Amino acid sequence: MKNKIIIPILVLLSIIIGGYIAFKKINSSVQNNEFSIKNGNWTVNPNMDLKDSYQRAYISRIGVFALDEKEALYFLSSKDNNGNPLSSDFDYQIIGSPPKGRYWSYTLYGEDYFLVKNDANIYTINKENLTKDKPIMVSSTKKDINWLPSGNETKFHITLRVYNPDESVYKNLESLDLPIIKKIEK
Amino acid sequence: MKKIFFYLWILLIMSVCSYNLTIHYIPNIVYEVFHNKIEKNQSIGDNEIKHFDIPNHKSRDVVMPNPDFLYSTIFYDLSEKDLNINANMPDSTYWSVSFYKPNTINWFVKNDQEFVTKNLDLTLTFNDSGSENVIKSPVKKGFMIIRILVEKKDQKSIELYRTLQKNIVIN
Repeated sequence: MKNKIIIPILVLLSIIIGGYIAFKKINSSVQNNEFSIKNGNWTVNPNMDLKDSYQRAYISRIGVFALDEKEALYFLSSKDNNGNPLSSDFDYQIIGSPPKGRYWSYTLYGEDYFLVKNDANIYTINKENLTKDKPIMVSSTKKDINWLPSGNETKFHITLRVYNPDESVYKNLESLDLPIIKKIEK
Repeated sequence: MKKIFFYLWILLIMSVCSYNLTIHYIPNIVYEVFHNKIEKNQSIGDNEIKHFDIPNHKSRDVVMPNPDFLYSTIFYDLSEKDLNINANMPDSTYWSVSFYKPNTINWFVKNDQEFVTKNLDLTLTFNDSGSENVIKSPVKKGFMIIRILVEKKDQKSIELYRTLQKNIVIN
């Protein structure tokens, strides 16, 4: 009789404990960019062994339905060149060229990884709509050219996508020259 | 006292099993949550195509949508029949066809430069295939995304690509 009560309690407890630790561990790996390749303040989508279930769980949390690295590279940054978190309290310039590829774009995402609300409905600067030889301006206030609105996000991320990157890009992902995100006075 | 240690030992073993099972099935849980969300929010079932407009801040179905893309998606089920995908795709911009397993792994992607023609005529099957236009899926059920890049956001370009997107037919 006693076992009839204790066994279900043990089963329930073990499901809760095991499940909680699993989610906690995966979230911690995501926050620490555990499997990502790091280059300055950027991280790039990881070299994954997809036979490994832990790594599969990791990738399903960071980029569900992303393309594999042969098709597209995703460079992510949530920090400026001084290592401080990106915030709409400040303005930033993105200086430098993205890695060579068929198409590239900078997109701003909020802390929740969704697009940031802004009155201008501008969400991206890409190869086609960039005004060349002018820096990209990340700001909550309107700029005339190359403006990437940061809305009212206290923290945000910038994703640089490169589709069909040149072969050379893959060879030195850790030391490749990547653009810098420089904080400027408002 | 002995019994308490026995129960603790059982709890430990079962928690380790639960941990491993959760890790193994997290991708499937993520996939199913998304599947249910799309079915509920967009009122579509398996083997029905859904054409999404260019994402904006209101797009909350999946994290990190690319605001330069028109997405067409389908949750496929090959249990009863193969799936045919027919479309007249753009010839002046990037587009791609990709497939995912229910554990969210991208098992196939092919872009416009890799297809020999912009007239897409593909068959997705779970059975053996021998033809170039036939793609063998490793799973009976999965997810497909067709992406069309819209780099220029002028009305003319958007309308052109939207028209092509809406002409993608699944049967």
